[in-house]
Amino acid sequence: MTAPLLEVQDLRTVFQTKEGIVKAVDGVSFELMPGETLGIVGESGCGKSVTAMSIMRLQRPGKIVGGKVLFKGQELTKMTEYEMREVRGKEIAMIFQDPMTSLNPVFRVGWQVSEPIRIHQGWDAKKSLASAVGMLGRVGIPSAATRARDYPHQFSGGMRQRAMIAMGLTTTPPVLIADEPTTALDVTIQAQILDLLRRVNNDFGTATILITHNLGVVAGMCERVLVMYAGKIVESGPTKDVFAHPKHPYTWSLLRSIPRLDADRHEPLKPIEGLPPHLVDLPPGCSFHPRCAFKVDRCMRDEPALLQVGETQKAACWVTQSGQELKGA
Amino acid sequence: MIGQSRVAELDMPTAAAEGAATRPAQSYWNESWERLSANRIGLAAGALIVVFAAIAIAAPLFSAVLTHFQPQSINLDITFKPPGAPNYLGTDELGRDTLTRIIWGGRVTLGVAFLTVAMSLTVGSSIGMLAGYYGKWVDDILMRIVDTVLAIPAIFLFILMSILFRPNAITLAAIIASVGWGGVARLVRGEVLSVKERDFILATRSIGARDFRLMLRHLLPNVLPVLIVSASLGVGQIILVEAALDFLGLGIQPPTPSWGNMLTNAESYFYHSFWLVIWPGIAIFATVLASNIFGNAVRDAFDPRLKSH
Repeated sequence: MTAPLLEVQDLRTVFQTKEGIVKAVDGVSFELMPGETLGIVGESGCGKSVTAMSIMRLQRPGKIVGGKVLFKGQELTKMTEYEMREVRGKEIAMIFQDPMTSLNPVFRVGWQVSEPIRIHQGWDAKKSLASAVGMLGRVGIPSAATRARDYPHQFSGGMRQRAMIAMGLTTTPPVLIADEPTTALDVTIQAQILDLLRRVNNDFGTATILITHNLGVVAGMCERVLVMYAGKIVESGPTKDVFAHPKHPYTWSLLRSIPRLDADRHEPLKPIEGLPPHLVDLPPGCSFHPRCAFKVDRCMRDEPALLQVGETQKAACWVTQSGQELKGA
Repeated sequence: MIGQSRVAELDMPTAAAEGAATRPAQSYWNESWERLSANRIGLAAGALIVVFAAIAIAAPLFSAVLTHFQPQSINLDITFKPPGAPNYLGTDELGRDTLTRIIWGGRVTLGVAFLTVAMSLTVGSSIGMLAGYYGKWVDDILMRIVDTVLAIPAIFLFILMSILFRPNAITLAAIIASVGWGGVARLVRGEVLSVKERDFILATRSIGARDFRLMLRHLLPNVLPVLIVSASLGVGQIILVEAALDFLGLGIQPPTPSWGNMLTNAESYFYHSFWLVIWPGIAIFATVLASNIFGNAVRDAFDPRLKSH
């Protein structure tokens, strides 16, 4: 078995707020293998984005208070800002949620897409622009040489996201973090962008962390998936196993709440009851117990750890760890 | 009719696609420039300032070719001459040619004004940028300094500084700019605070850009419009401040002519030689008015949202 490219160990990131300390990322551990696509799913505010930001050390105003991020054996959380800049954009690139605001409105797209090359390779404007134009072509921008001279406002949302992806790839980093890359796009464009990301993964062998709240996206894209809830990973495993036999009630409820084509269309959707907990004031025991259909007494007292459940999956749940199956109510 | 409109609808996509392929890149600057060129009055005001500046720069040439007088050459035989050849705008109490002195005075006055604006903008935008970008204690310290500077009544500071530093064009510019930068710093800080929260700054950080690159390459161009507007509106204000200081004898010292100090003496002779007041007065008035009109035009061009007001 090959060594993981990126290893996150017990990462903890907190935000100091007026109401108290928010543990946005609370002991998250996972690894990313070379060339794989890893999905991180969860509701808004469960810590997906903060996890990604913490890996890049861009979590300000949050603070990393514990844990390690090992990239090719180097500890990113201990690096100086200077060393970290060499990692950002060169080793790990990031794509953001809203392509409409992720490009600087006053510069031409080509100039921006070529910026990582100028920063990391130190190439001159002409050479870096030529390379950027090539990359824009590869991500499917028609007549890239001409469009590179356009300003961001002349690009559509899908094209801007393509440009952002091109920008991330110009330095061919081994890791790409895509933070909800399709959330701000409409459905047909979403499909195109996902297709592009899949192609990028194949062509460049870029390991991708795909952060999303869309389970459909994960099903179509990722080999492995992590499910996050309230700053913690509650379930992890190969996508097909997690989707077929969820081992955490949260995953189970999420999957059950998705509308299905083959379901009786007169039956109402089954949302997860209640709201995600306030991160300042987490319930004792398992954070999910107030919304859980399977809870036992122990869930309200003790916090479950993420342990092996079944052949391939891990789950942080007392119920499934005791061997019980999750069956629909 | 119905058939025709169908055809038009069907044609549209191709037309749009062709347009997309051929249209030139429209930058923010292009657009602003287009809006500015459409504003005739604003453009005329800008042109007037450029003409005045050109005349001021070419002052020695005008002395040699047009007026044949030097600004400081005294001739007591021709004191208080009314306008007419060879003294087109008359002479003053020492027989100095008013037109020559207006031209040379413009050199000083406009020079001081532009220099002051340049100094205020450089210092103000640097301080504002640092405060806005780094925030926290840097912001606190820098902005409290700005508050302090802006809390001092400007005219008393000018008087004090004029006594401490014998004013010439450069020190006078520095004196006026020593207060002017405060406003610019606040303006830039506010703008930086809003721009730095936008996603593209985070995106740029994520590609490994240094603070320096973020500030100079990404933030500065985004705050440039406010700077340009503040500069073009500032020129007029500074000319007024400078004229006031000169008039009070705290600015440019005679015999060097400036529009302001030309008025100092003129006031005593107003009843029999009114032209001594009129010409420098018109020069100041026209420049300040032109600068304000141009400044407004620039603001409208850069920020169309303000235009309705």
